Amino acid sequence: MNAFVKTLLCTSSLLAALVVLQPAILASVDDAQSFALQAAEPYVKEGFQVREDYWGGDLGSGEKKAVRQQLFKGNEYWFWLGTEVDRAKVSVHIYDSDGKLAEETDGWEKGHFAAAHVIPKTTGSYFIIVSVEESPEERTHWALVYGFR
Amino acid sequence: MIPFNKYLKLTAVALIGLTLCAQGARTPQHIDIKQLSKTVEDVVVPLPNEIFGALNKLGAVNWKEHVRSDKGTNFTERPRIALLLGTVIADGFVAVQAEDAASVKEIGQRVLALAKGIGVGNSITPHAKAIIEAADKRNWEAVRQELDRTQNSVQQAMNEVHDEKLLTSVVTKHFSADGAELLHQPDLLSYFQTRLEAMPEFKLPIIREIEDALVQVKPLIDVGNARIPQESVRKINEITTRLGYGIVTRD
Repeated sequence: MNAFVKTLLCTSSLLAALVVLQPAILASVDDAQSFALQAAEPYVKEGFQVREDYWGGDLGSGEKKAVRQQLFKGNEYWFWLGTEVDRAKVSVHIYDSDGKLAEETDGWEKGHFAAAHVIPKTTGSYFIIVSVEESPEERTHWALVYGFR
Repeated sequence: MIPFNKYLKLTAVALIGLTLCAQGARTPQHIDIKQLSKTVEDVVVPLPNEIFGALNKLGAVNWKEHVRSDKGTNFTERPRIALLLGTVIADGFVAVQAEDAASVKEIGQRVLALAKGIGVGNSITPHAKAIIEAADKRNWEAVRQELDRTQNSVQQAMNEVHDEKLLTSVVTKHFSADGAELLHQPDLLSYFQTRLEAMPEFKLPIIREIEDALVQVKPLIDVGNARIPQESVRKINEITTRLGYGIVTRD
């Protein structure tokens, strides 16, 4: 019986911890999203429509994540990456389906913001590679947003 | 002797140049896509606005001839209503392109009725109202954005079939290699195949029809770096038109 109560308590605590942890993780990714949107702000004035969705997660220093995206020839895209970790350095780069760097040369990296620009030469799948280059945190939340015109 | 300010400018230019070179050098020019397989996310489904943006750049299209007047059957089954809702939202985008305020307002009402039918009426009501109000003011950009938001809110109800049908019907009428290129979406097609197979409603005849159509369309658009020929565009249009008809009418 004691064992049963102990298991029940452990399970309940774990569940409670997970319930509390989930909003905390989401909140951090939400913070990262607000930084990514901040980076996008000046581009709205240039006619870019920023999509309301975002892609995010957390990465350790030196880790990468790829987001596969369908891009259309004729459109122009900017991708903005942000994190709430002040002293982190992040980067974002765009490759075509053959793995060839496809971005324009005006992309930039400024500490916990980064941006990449692509004018697709062909319609198809592209890989948006996000990376946490350096960070004082063990895991760094990131969020990626994009705009098109 | 170089004047100090000139020296300063030259140094700044050299530094900026070196910084850019260093950044360029750090970024690999080529990556091995196969190695990414474990870290790659599902393909991001584009917004209808992105597709229409690319279509608009192909030149003048007579959008009015693509506005569908057929309202579709009144279904009671949720999957059928959801599929119909997807096609009605797509119709909304075409009506916006055609700047047809009356059709857009009618579509706004229809979206609301169908959303209620699948139990998402509450989240769609503000979008539908905003669509109707913006159409009254002929604020087409606002209508497009609301349609995008509506689509997001009922994403599960969406499928890309109508999108392919529209693309092919526009491209068939005004064939150009650039237009056909917009159909090059094999990864999206695979993504939808996987999603369909995972649906509990997979055994429904209409869902099986969609799956069959995706299987037929895939080799026609999965052509690597080659161009999609006019004959393939015509075939895709046939397949997707047949499917679109199947979605809006009872079996």
